[in-house]
Amino acid sequence: MSLYLRQVRAIVWKDLLLELRTRERLVAMGAFAVLAGILFDYTLDTTRVQPEDVAAGLIWMTIVFGGLLGIGRTFHLEGQDAALQGVLMSPAPKDAVFFGKTLANFVLLYAVAVLVLGVFTFLFGLEPGGSVWMLLAALALGALGFVALGTLFAAVSSGTRMGETLLPILVFPLLLPMVIWGGVATGRLLDGRPVAEVAASLRLLGAFALVALATGAVLFRFVVED
Amino acid sequence: MTPATQIGRPIPATVTVLEARGLVREYGAVVAVDGVDLTLAEGEFLTLFGPNGAGKSSLLGMLAGALRPTRGSVAVRGAPLDFGDVAWRARIGMVSHRGFLYAHLTAEENLRFYGELFGLGDLDERVPERLERVGLAARARAQVHELSHGMRQRLSLARALLHDPDLVLLDEPFTGLDPSAAAVLHRVLRELRDGRRTVVMVTHNLSEGLALATRVAIQVGGRLAWEGAAGGERDGFERLYHDVVEGRYARGEPTPGRDAAGRGALEARA
Repeated sequence: MSLYLRQVRAIVWKDLLLELRTRERLVAMGAFAVLAGILFDYTLDTTRVQPEDVAAGLIWMTIVFGGLLGIGRTFHLEGQDAALQGVLMSPAPKDAVFFGKTLANFVLLYAVAVLVLGVFTFLFGLEPGGSVWMLLAALALGALGFVALGTLFAAVSSGTRMGETLLPILVFPLLLPMVIWGGVATGRLLDGRPVAEVAASLRLLGAFALVALATGAVLFRFVVED
Repeated sequence: MTPATQIGRPIPATVTVLEARGLVREYGAVVAVDGVDLTLAEGEFLTLFGPNGAGKSSLLGMLAGALRPTRGSVAVRGAPLDFGDVAWRARIGMVSHRGFLYAHLTAEENLRFYGELFGLGDLDERVPERLERVGLAARARAQVHELSHGMRQRLSLARALLHDPDLVLLDEPFTGLDPSAAAVLHRVLRELRDGRRTVVMVTHNLSEGLALATRVAIQVGGRLAWEGAAGGERDGFERLYHDVVEGRYARGEPTPGRDAAGRGALEARA
């Protein structure tokens, strides 16, 4: 294994082990996902709106809001005892640090996204049927783009006095394309439409993720330097 | 325990490890480091004294490649250093006010993590050896938040030495240590010096700083106001320190134990 991949793997391992020990992000995100699903279920007037008509949008909004609870704390443990400074003073390239933290965030967010899908499927009585795998693929692509931007802007906001309050303001406008394409793909898949009808949305989600990853890798060093 | 001579490579004393020229670091209108020139030969142990706010930590940060100089240059073995040079960072070990440690990882896991970042291949042997060296072998499986301040400081030193750096930078390593923790730290630093490792240590602890140093400098107002070889007694240096910090040395004013030319018990050093 190359040194670069070892460095990325070490950061992923460290972040996931820390999360396993502290559970400070996953519990918050998971609890939010379940509570949001329950609240949406109770507040929806089913005499006027069918749950399956709005489920896709609500799923993605829950993922975004819940995800930010955790992503916003990406650098919280790094700030204690200036651990991030130690990492940045190692020979690990800044983009390796970014990819490591982004991948660890992806694992956490994807777990939450799958939980959100499960909660809404159960509460809203959705029937994904044969499109489950495509739904999981759409969630994966959307989550990847989300965590790439989220990790970058979590680094930005962690260095400010406003901290986590600033993160949604910075990230929400940039996540709009992801929410739109993710919502479209999810809605059509839940509707039982053929894969060909969601292929374009999935491609756009993939392209969004790639652009977000590339942008984050390039800009991360400017955010964390000095 | 591995002797220091096995940990540090024997190296000739005359080889220049690092040469800094005209280093300046500004924070807005505040000039923290103001035109510092510094040359470090292999095997030198430089202790840097100075009052709070003298710019010592900023100087260390620039030497470590962690802080971008506003102006000035750093050359490593004669080659100009690009800020953030990955190869240079692999040759630096730094102990700061902060430990750079993860509170919810064990001592062993912290060292293993940094070992992976440095691409070290023999972590199964290296990590226990470093923990043994700083007296933490028995606490290898303890999470950092369970360790005392002194233990964390020693673990931080083990982290900084994990990759056998060419240059070790220490920022007030004795702060807050109890006598036994300070004794362990002193022993490890003495091994570094005797192993001819190049070290820069910032400290307010005159006794420790003088006992370990081969060279001493005093930084005041961002500048190196005095430099000299180590040696001599602590009291004489303390008088000199106050003269330098309070400006009497620069003005050539006589003080008890010193003549008008600024020479006193430490004249042989300057």
